[in-house]
Amino acid sequence: METKEYTSNINCNACVNKVAPHFNDAEGVEFWAVDLEHPDRILTVEGSVSAEQVQALAQAAGYTVAPR
Amino acid sequence: MPNSASAIEQAFPVTGMHCAACAASVSSMLESTPGVESARVNYANAEAWVAYDPQKTTPDQLRKSVQQVGYDLLISEENAWDEQAAIQATELKAAQSRLIWSAVFTLPVFTIGMFFMHWEIGPWVSLAFTLPILFYFGRHFFTRAWKQARHRQASMDTLVAVSTGIAFLFSLFNTLFPQWWAAQGLEAHVYYEAVAVIITFILLGKWLEERAKGSTSAALKGLMDLQPTMVTVVDGEEERTVEASQVSVGMLIRVKPGQKVAVDGVVTEAGSYVEESTITGESLPAQKQVGDRVFAGTLNQQGSLLFRADKVGKDTVLSQIIARVREAQGSQAPVQRLVDRIASIFVPVVLALAVLTFILWMAFGGEQAFTYALLNSISVLVIACPCALGLATPTAIMVGVGKGAANNLLIRDAKSLEQARQVTAVVLDKTGTLTQGQPKVQATYPEWTAWGKKDQAAVLALEKASEHPLAKAVATFAQGALATQVAEFTNIPGAGVSGKLGKTVYRVGRIDWLESLGAKKAENMPGLMADWEAEAHTVIGVAKDEEMVGLLALSDALKPSAKDAVKALQNQGRKVYLLTGDQSAAAAAVGYAVGISPDRVRARQLPANKSAFVKKLQEEGNTVAMVGDGVNDAEALAVADVSMAMGQGADVAMDVASITLMTSDPRSIAQALRLSEKTVAGIRQNLFWAFIYNVVGIPIAAGILYPFTGFLLNPMIAGAAMAFSSVSVVLNSLRLRGIKL
Repeated sequence: METKEYTSNINCNACVNKVAPHFNDAEGVEFWAVDLEHPDRILTVEGSVSAEQVQALAQAAGYTVAPR
Repeated sequence: MPNSASAIEQAFPVTGMHCAACAASVSSMLESTPGVESARVNYANAEAWVAYDPQKTTPDQLRKSVQQVGYDLLISEENAWDEQAAIQATELKAAQSRLIWSAVFTLPVFTIGMFFMHWEIGPWVSLAFTLPILFYFGRHFFTRAWKQARHRQASMDTLVAVSTGIAFLFSLFNTLFPQWWAAQGLEAHVYYEAVAVIITFILLGKWLEERAKGSTSAALKGLMDLQPTMVTVVDGEEERTVEASQVSVGMLIRVKPGQKVAVDGVVTEAGSYVEESTITGESLPAQKQVGDRVFAGTLNQQGSLLFRADKVGKDTVLSQIIARVREAQGSQAPVQRLVDRIASIFVPVVLALAVLTFILWMAFGGEQAFTYALLNSISVLVIACPCALGLATPTAIMVGVGKGAANNLLIRDAKSLEQARQVTAVVLDKTGTLTQGQPKVQATYPEWTAWGKKDQAAVLALEKASEHPLAKAVATFAQGALATQVAEFTNIPGAGVSGKLGKTVYRVGRIDWLESLGAKKAENMPGLMADWEAEAHTVIGVAKDEEMVGLLALSDALKPSAKDAVKALQNQGRKVYLLTGDQSAAAAAVGYAVGISPDRVRARQLPANKSAFVKKLQEEGNTVAMVGDGVNDAEALAVADVSMAMGQGADVAMDVASITLMTSDPRSIAQALRLSEKTVAGIRQNLFWAFIYNVVGIPIAAGILYPFTGFLLNPMIAGAAMAFSSVSVVLNSLRLRGIKL
């Protein structure tokens, strides 16, 4: 299990609600959270998932993330 | 209360009453109506309480007997209070038009009297303009003075009526027969401008007072609006909507989220939070279990509520509050105005002086004794009327009210500004008055910054999803933690919430619930919990799988200025009491924190207890100020001598209270009392300035200077007294603006 951080455009609580089902249902994601107070909206993901998988999950909800 | 079983007691607004004697007349008419057991008529709020047998008489018949003596009873119960408010508005309008017209008519009289006094037809023109001022716009002074005279009472009205009346008759005589005095070798002066100006100034004062008259009916309307008009009744499978007045005891009633409860009853289906601030003053909604009581006027927050009505109509707790507020507002002891008190001494003294002047001139007046005696004794009465009298109180009050507004004190009722300085006991409500009224996280274990990022995120995500009222406070507190959302969110009413982050189960809720699910407390937690609970905090726990990772302590925080506010009142030498609908521990904690001794703290007070407490203090000889923010305080506010409401509180509390503290800062209480002291000091100084020039003028009018200089009263002196006293009064009132609170 590892922890990775991504910059994202998940800007507000409503955005968090939109990505939530995708991340909560994803295989291998143990914990995910967005720092809404950080200028780059850092998304932290814990678990055994690749950066590509995380990017795909965010994409599916309509957001873009990039490894930090 | 009615004596026989068949009698009912009902309140009716009465219109057309202008004095206490009218009230007596209405009440005797009502009592002599067949079928009426007793009738109490309240002059102050224009209301009659009648206990009558509905089989023997009807409201219509009651109305007819009252109409016989020239008053009216409003019987259409629905609109009665609106009608009364409308009548109050008409009265204000009438006062306004009286003032405006009187001022318009006064202007020419004043100009002639001051600048064209030697104009030959001047007196006739002045007479024409003065007539309507005195006998139309100012007629009320004469009718009221007459009524009071019959009761051997004197007030400002008497003073105004006597001196303007005499000045007018004297001037009239001099206008019609100027040669009479001339034949005696004396000059005949007219004083129409004094009459006109006095009446106009006093009408200005009356208009200001009428405007400041509180709209007591607005408060009652606000209370009645708390009751919903339509109710959903459950009848077997069927649900139908009926009018609230048709609900009877035993009916099952459904209340949807966001709706208000219409009648009192007992819950039959649980699962909802009800906001009961109208009864308890607590903004934190209470959870309702089967068997719990619900009250009319409370607000169902979420979840549908099903209950069985057991008290309807006028038996509900809310209806009783309404009835008692109504009664309390009417039974307010009338405050004797400073100006009336002075007038009641001044009038007889002046009359005595006039008689004395007459006697002395008759005795020592020489050849023309009678002429001089008459002229000089009338002059005494003419000069005695302090023209600025009508301005003394209203201008000081106006500046005081303005000064209050600049300090965020909204003073609705001028009377309270005159009375507040006498307050010996201040009764404070807890929630919303001394405290913020909203729960807040006061402490956490461990220190919040020391919590793991995931734990913080879990607390925020869970509490954001929860509907519990406390959860909102926690979510606000945890704002700034990482944002995520839990999976498998579950809400267990009355216990807490749970959800999963990955494979980890997080729970936030009651400690005993968490423990029942196997969460283990850390070693120091029980001690901490005991400490916090002793300080009246509500403690909730956060569990991660089987481990209790943290504790949160919530309570309604004190306003930062609460302690200073209480201290300021105590330093003014006033007794400070704390009343609350909340639990004893919470009351004691707040009392301790703000420095109110435990014997002056009362917990678990229902609205009726609060007003009873205020009454008890009054019976012990206190002038009581009540400060509150909720519907539950309305009754006590109505009973208190001076009432203050918090600007952030319920509208009803503000409607009942005579002073609203706009910033909701409790320090404003001491400021308001201090403002009252300063304003009354200003009124006293004004009255001094209003009287002093006239008092100095009395010996001159009596002819004291005549033996030495041949000097008698003339319009110059009367005019100067009028001008100097008015200017002094206005300047002194304006000086009040500079005071520090």
